[in-house]
Order: sequence, then C-alpha cells, then structure tokens
Amino acid sequence: MAVKANIDSGRWGDPYLDLSTYTADADLMELNMGPQHPSTHGVFRVVLWLDGETIVKAVPHPGYLHRGVEKLCEKLTYVQITPIVDKNDYVAPMLNEQAVNMAVEQLMGIEVPRRARWLRTLLAELQRVASHLLWLGTFGIDLGGALGGGTSLFMYCFRERELIMDLFEGLTGSRFHYNTHTVGGNRHDVPAGWAEQVKQVLTFIERHIDEYVAVLDHPIFEQRTMNVGVIDAELALGLGLTGPVLRASGVDHDLRRDAPYHAYDEIDFKVPIAHGGDCYARYEVRVAEMRESIRMARDLIDGLPEGPLVGARPIKTPVQVKIKSGQAYVALETPRGELGTYVIAGGDNRNASPYRFKIRPPSLHSVSALPWVLPGHQVSDVVAILGSLDPIMGEVDR
Amino acid sequence: MAVDDPGRSYSHPLFDTLERFPGLDLATTTADKLLNWGARNSLWIFPMATSCCGIEFMASAASRVDFDRMGSFTRATPRQADVMVVAGTITVKMAPRVKRLWDQMPEPKWCVAMGSCAISGDFYRDIYSVIPGIDTVIPVDVYVPGCPPNPEALMAGLLVLQEKIALKTAGLKTVPAGRPETAKMISPRIKRVGHPDRMPEIDAAQCAQAMSLDLTEPPDLLAAFTAAQAAAKAAREAAEAAAADAAAADEKGGEA
Ligand code: SF4
Repeated sequence: MAVKANIDSGRWGDPYLDLSTYTADADLMELNMGPQHPSTHGVFRVVLWLDGETIVKAVPHPGYLHRGVEKLCEKLTYVQITPIVDKNDYVAPMLNEQAVNMAVEQLMGIEVPRRARWLRTLLAELQRVASHLLWLGTFGIDLGGALGGGTSLFMYCFRERELIMDLFEGLTGSRFHYNTHTVGGNRHDVPAGWAEQVKQVLTFIERHIDEYVAVLDHPIFEQRTMNVGVIDAELALGLGLTGPVLRASGVDHDLRRDAPYHAYDEIDFKVPIAHGGDCYARYEVRVAEMRESIRMARDLIDGLPEGPLVGARPIKTPVQVKIKSGQAYVALETPRGELGTYVIAGGDNRNASPYRFKIRPPSLHSVSALPWVLPGHQVSDVVAILGSLDPIMGEVDR
Repeated sequence: MAVDDPGRSYSHPLFDTLERFPGLDLATTTADKLLNWGARNSLWIFPMATSCCGIEFMASAASRVDFDRMGSFTRATPRQADVMVVAGTITVKMAPRVKRLWDQMPEPKWCVAMGSCAISGDFYRDIYSVIPGIDTVIPVDVYVPGCPPNPEALMAGLLVLQEKIALKTAGLKTVPAGRPETAKMISPRIKRVGHPDRMPEIDAAQCAQAMSLDLTEPPDLLAAFTAAQAAAKAAREAAEAAAADAAAADEKGGEA
C-alpha cells in the first residue's frame, strides 16, 4: 500500500501526515468517531482518515469534558479541594484525594500517623483492583461479541467491583467520591468487622480472576489484541506514558517502588511487567497487577497498626489550613500511571487557597499516543487500542 | 380520551389513521393505552454518559442492580431509544451534540437528568465551560439527584418515569416537577449560552469554534468580542442619549 511508506516519516517526526501528498485517486475517507460513541470511554473524539479499512491518519480531539477544575480549585480552600478532585479520575477517586492531601501535608510539614498511612495504602490498592476490574469489563464490551455475547465479562467484573464499592461504602458512607482523606490523616476509621469483610471479598475476587483469564484464553481474543497497538519502550518514554501502559512496553518503572510514599516501603510487592507493548501485554500487566494488589491488600489489612488516624496537629477546621508560601509536587502511582499534583501556596482567601493548582493526568499522555499508534491499523482495532490505554476523560480534560 | 387531547406531546401514525374513522373511539383509546403500556414497560435507554455519573449508570446496568429486569435496555444509538439518561457534566462544547442526539431520537421520548451536574451544573456551574443543567438545552422529565446517585436511585427515577407515562394514559396531566424549593439553587453568576444578557455574537463564535473541525482557521473570538462590546456600548450610549433628550424635552414641557 502506497500509504504505508508515508507513515514512516520518522519516530519523532510529525505523526500527522500531510494529506496533500496523496494523489487524487487515493480516495481517502474521513471518519468521525465520537464524541458520543459507546467505546470511547466517555466523551472523546478522534477523526480518522481511512484508505479502505486502513487508518492513515488519526487526530484526537479532547476537551468535551473540560470542567475547569484547576481554576475552580484556586478559588476554594485546601480542605474544600478534596471532594472536587475526586471527580477528575472518577474511576479511582481515592488516589486523587490522596495526591492533593499529600501535597498540602508536604507544604505544611505535617507528619501523617502510621495507621493512616497504612489505611491509605490499603485503600489505594483496593481502588486499583476496582479500577482494573472496571477496565477489564469495559474492554470485554469493546472487543464485542467474540467474548461470549459482549456483555458477559462486563457483568462478571461488575459483580466483583460492587463488592469493593460495598467495602468503601461501609468505611466512608459513600459508594463513589468518598472525601475520606483529609489534611494530616483520614476521616473514617475502620468499622467493626470490616477487616473480615475485606478478606472475604479479596478471596472471592482472587478466585474469580482465574475465571476471567480462562474466559479470555481464547484465540479470538488473542488475535484481536496480540500485535495490535504496539508501543515500544522508546515511544512510551518519549511521550511520557506511565503506569501499566509503560510497564507493558518493558520499562520497569513504578513509583510505589521507585519513590515510595505511604507505607509502600514497609511491605513487599512485585512490579509486574510485560514486553510485548501491545494490547495483550497491557491486559497481562493489569491482570497481574490485580493479583499483586490483592496480595498486598491482604498483608495491609493484617498488619494495620494501631494508633490515631490524624496527626499530632489535627486539622479540625478548614480555616486552620493556611500556607503563606512554598510549592509542592506529589506524584502517585494510580491505576493509570503517574498522577502529579503541583501546588503553589499563597492564593486567595487569606492564604487558605492555592495560588496555582496543576494536575498532571496520566490519561492525557496515554491519549496523546494515538496519532502514533493508530496509523496502519484497521478501524476495528481503534476500540481495542483505545480501550487498552484505559483513558479517563475526566482526567484528560479536567 | 387521550387521542382527542390536543396537548399530547407525541404522535403516532396509528392514531392519525384511527382518528379519521368516526365510531372507532373505543379502538383509538385502547390503542393508546396499549402503546403506552408497551412504551412504559420497555424504556430503552440511550446513555448520554459523559463522566462520573456514567460509571454509576454502568453499575445500574450491570449485574447487581440490572435494570434489564424492568424492560430497560441500553442502546448505543439514539435511533433505537426512548429515554435519554443524561449522566454527567455537560460542557458548552458538548451541549450542541447532546441537542443533536436528542433530536435524532424518535418520538415519544423522555429525558432523565441523572446527578447534580446534569440537573444544575453542580459546583461547576460557575465555570466558564459548563452549562448549568441539561434542562437549559433539552426538556427533562425526571430529575435524579445525587453526586452520583446510587443505582437504586436511578431505578427509582425510572419507576417515576413509568408512573408518569401511566398517568398520561389515564388522561391525567402531570405537573412538571421543576427544581425543588428546598434545594435553594443559587443561580449562576456568569450568564450562559442563550441567556438574554449575553452577547449572541460571542455565543455563535464559541459554538462555531466548538463545532468546527478545521483547526487551522478558528473563528476570531477576540474580534467577535470587541465588535459585540462596541455594539453594546453604542446601544447603551444611544439609549442614554435618548433618555437625556426625553428628560430635556420633559423639562421644557414642564417649563412651558
Ligand atoms: S453529579 Fe457528581 S458524580 Fe455526577 S457527573 Fe457530576 S460530579 Fe460526577
């Protein structure tokens, strides 16, 4: 195909082809996918130029969910920000809360008690399992009827995800958007019998992960994911990809191990990596991560230390959180990669608001890989590739 | 006699056929009831799921709650759906698309606003890019409050919708629920698209930019803004001058 030669314009060159180089009889078709499309995981639009069934050019258009969160946070006090950032990465709200509170703690020089750190780690790992379950379920839908009627895997995964939602509801009173982290510690202590419930749920989920793997051990699944959407290590690093997408490309990088926060330096865990860089490798990494997270969560709930949940200087009212100056950057490993939160202190409300609040969303970087990855693939591979990158639009557009 | 109701909000070819024959009143009434019964118990849903509420919508469609049991089924295209569930924040860029998708749905159709973002814009309502509630764009039948509403709340909302359709069959008018008094909504400080106080030129330019695929030549927002400001200023000055003239004329008249 004459088109192929054009794509190879160099790794670091412009992935957007100059369409004027095509001859008139190239007969390109422009296909608009999104912003409302069942498999764009929210409101994401990508414009594809097709030569027959083959994509020659892809232009992503984010911004359909731009809610001005960063600007909004500059008007709110530090304590009010926590429930707002929940809504950014709405599949893993716990991690968003942790990031902003850790940044404020770093600015104020507050020490978080050990019990709160362990509880935060536990919540992060449970959230990771829930997020990956949601990803696996929707990936099943994306790949469609080949996997037993489309929605089967979705139904299985949501059955297990609901159990984790129940755990969070038992702890915080809310299924979603928890607002359980606060400056200097956690708000909600573990209720009676919760630890037992966690262990039961973990056992249940662990058993069922084997089931999904058995369902997906299928030639059709392998054909639709293997060697599809290959991102090699160089491209992944160049685009700033993080998380499972980067680890699926063979780069052994995980902030939990490389720059430990919370209680990650006190527990043992492995970081799963894969080398294919394709959709199948990303699936492998996520499933392995789920298993590892379940193991970690079990250790964490067993070893949850006694003690207070808030520090020696408890923050009782929002007015107490006032920071004159300084800046802090906190990076967490969310289910999608490195979530950075950058805060410059000394804003409105007599120093009770940040002057600048910046979020570095991992999903934005994943989505930015599409123009490089999509050309050369068929139209039906778009949903598989987009699904395997697991972008969350609330985070991409903020 | 629902068919004779001039204010009915939908049409069906069957009604128009039957209505032409005198003496078939009984048949028309029955057909109306039958159709409404069918519509009520098979509300196929088109999810306008943009953000977090969309995840709870998925949870409602998934194994535990599963609104398939009530005959509600998710369709990925508006052409096959009866109910649009707006789940999530609607931005200025997204609103024209929502309107277009709503227009593509066949009658009869209903809309459920799920979550505070779809109801009122939630805490984003003062942000420049968010519209304060989907009811500024399309008509809403049922509001399901929450951030996000639990799946059970969405089920309750669908049951309320079924009740509403049943009432219509019985010839009873339902009173539009409106915004609950108790919520004490604060109206947005920044005026949104379509508000009479806004400058239509800027709205048009904004919408055009949002709808445009052509990134090389975006509409000139600044020029539109300057022109609109100049026009507004000229209008204001003209009004002031007219008022001053009138006042002067009044004074003269008074003196005379
Ligand atoms: S109402 Fe809450 S949960 Fe729903 S879309 Fe808005 S912020 Fe998200």
